[in-house]
Amino acid sequence: MKHLILSAGLALSASAALAETELRVHYAIPTIWAETQDKLTAAFMAAHPEVTLTLDGPAEGYEDGAQRLLREHVAGTAPDVAYVGLNLWRVLEDRGVLQPLDPFLPADPQAAGYTPALLSLGRFEDTQWGLGTSASTLVMYVNPALVEQAGGSMEDFPTSFDGVIELAAKIDALSDTTEGVWIARHDWRFQSLLGSHGGRPMTEDESDITFDDAAGLAAAGLYQRFATEAGMSSMSENDARQAFPAGTLGIMFESSSLLTRFTEGAGDSFDVTVKPLPVAAEENVYFPTGGNAIVMLTEDPAKQQAAWDYIAFVTGPEGQKIIVENTGYAPANKLVLDDSAYLGSYYAENANARTAHAQVADHAGPWYAFPGAEGVAVTDLIAAALVEVTEGAEVEPTITDLAETLRLQLGMK
Amino acid sequence: MIRAALTDLLLVGPAALAVVLFIFLPVGVVFGLAFTDYQVGAAQAEWVGGANFAQLFGSRLGRNALLNTLTYAAIVIPGSVGLGLLVALGLHGMATRLPRLSALLRAVYFLPVAATLVAMAVSWQMLLHPSLGLANTWLQALNLPGQQWLSDRGLVLYTLAGIGIWQSTGYNMVLFLAGLAAIPSTLYDAAAVDGADRGWTRFWSVTWPMLGPTTLFVMIVTAASAFRVFETVATMTAGGPAFASDTIVYALYREGFVYFKAGYAAAITVVFFLALLALTALQMLLVERRVHYR
Repeated sequence: MKHLILSAGLALSASAALAETELRVHYAIPTIWAETQDKLTAAFMAAHPEVTLTLDGPAEGYEDGAQRLLREHVAGTAPDVAYVGLNLWRVLEDRGVLQPLDPFLPADPQAAGYTPALLSLGRFEDTQWGLGTSASTLVMYVNPALVEQAGGSMEDFPTSFDGVIELAAKIDALSDTTEGVWIARHDWRFQSLLGSHGGRPMTEDESDITFDDAAGLAAAGLYQRFATEAGMSSMSENDARQAFPAGTLGIMFESSSLLTRFTEGAGDSFDVTVKPLPVAAEENVYFPTGGNAIVMLTEDPAKQQAAWDYIAFVTGPEGQKIIVENTGYAPANKLVLDDSAYLGSYYAENANARTAHAQVADHAGPWYAFPGAEGVAVTDLIAAALVEVTEGAEVEPTITDLAETLRLQLGMK
Repeated sequence: MIRAALTDLLLVGPAALAVVLFIFLPVGVVFGLAFTDYQVGAAQAEWVGGANFAQLFGSRLGRNALLNTLTYAAIVIPGSVGLGLLVALGLHGMATRLPRLSALLRAVYFLPVAATLVAMAVSWQMLLHPSLGLANTWLQALNLPGQQWLSDRGLVLYTLAGIGIWQSTGYNMVLFLAGLAAIPSTLYDAAAVDGADRGWTRFWSVTWPMLGPTTLFVMIVTAASAFRVFETVATMTAGGPAFASDTIVYALYREGFVYFKAGYAAAITVVFFLALLALTALQMLLVERRVHYR
């Protein structure tokens, strides 16, 4: 017994000597992430006994989280690393909260699984400010039962927007309660349709708005075509997220991160099936990616190395395996997709996840955050313009006006 | 003498200090921020004078939020005060004949007040779902067209106002019941002697005037809560679609906590604070005057 206590004491002092660095980690959305974060922490500390991790109490959502990081930065109590929304790290970068990751990146990032598409998620101009840890893109959720009833086929499912609209119209005509297609009138969805048409919301140097070109008009025009040709209703996002699992909506364009929720919601009534977002253009196609980036905040060089070790771990194959298996998000590291040793058995059981995740590896691109103080505010203006277009406003003047308003509000003119 | 003064200071001091530190000081900071372009987390801010206020009253979005809030209040105040009075009169009359049922109904009407509004909002969302909700199912059973209750731009504000009335009627009913119980029965007897022994005449000559102070109080309280509408907007519509249900407090939240524009959000807070202050002052002034016959 005495021996046991002694050795326990020795072990304690030994680990205390090893645990030189303490890192504070911030994350958001505990409903999705709490369990995953605990697993990541345990796995990392097992691999790196010299580092002790503490998780800050999580923020409810990404906006809350960004708020808190800004406040803590002002007060000098910011954590050392943080998980932030892929569309929000630019806000933090703009306020000087983040540390560049370039000095730590391996010489050949591609070999470590960081493809250029994946790196673009956390890169602005020539600096790497964050690395994606989990990704989601826009996919089509399909109700096969309704497709069959409407005379369509799942094997020969349309891969063009025209085909989708045609099928959706047939589903819509089935009865009063069925609806063919639904997509949220929202910045991210619009950017996804835009990217599918090969368009971009802004020029590369972010000095001008570019979504009032042919690609943008076609993307916004889809909203109107969904409404006029396929009877898309104006129901809210919450309503649609209830309608799809309830089996009254045929095709829903939504984030791939909702797969688990929809599959559970539909239960035995139908087999939720994921189809990739149609690609309308020949080149320049990209799908803006939602999800999480990990960023470094600590300015202390000793802590920075430990922080990088942690970042490399969670964005590396082992960490990514934990994240994918526990959240259903797509991985942000090519190695886990290429090497079936990591997620092979997971994908064998989750064909829908494979469809969604393959799309990320092929077409991942940044979810453009508009620059400056009005950056977040203008996304609501985009959503409002899409509501108008859906309800019948003429596409070209509405989108041209919107682009003009954005240029003024963002100080581009 | 000095001892007494010291004791007073000791008793009042801590609370006063807390009030200054945690209420007056922050309010002062908010007033200061309202004249800057401060962004959450920014290292510095520029003095912009009244630009934030000009934006609130001059921009399309700012005016839209103000107008929506006024429309909402214009429906909810008379709606919930009127219904509250009606229900209170009914239950008060019923209390002597059917005391059990009256007590039960009173509890039922009060439930929405006691329930958490955010949780109730989720239930409302399900009831009002365009294809699965009970509301549209009933409409269809009556051969009426279903409505997009929360996503039709022309309808959403009225839907929210309806929920606002549902939520505050019970509270107003309780206040009116207390007011009714406080009317001395001798007044009704005296009125009966003069010929006002039933129905409208009785109501107009005794009940309504005696309820005056209660009514005024209820109006002010309802107005204050109607202007503050936030939970239902935040949980059910997020101000949408296309800002159709954007209200002043939601705009405050949106600008400050979603867009990070702390300066502008502070300006909205100041305007809102002053408006509520004016409302309260009006209440005190009027109540002072109206209780003359007591």
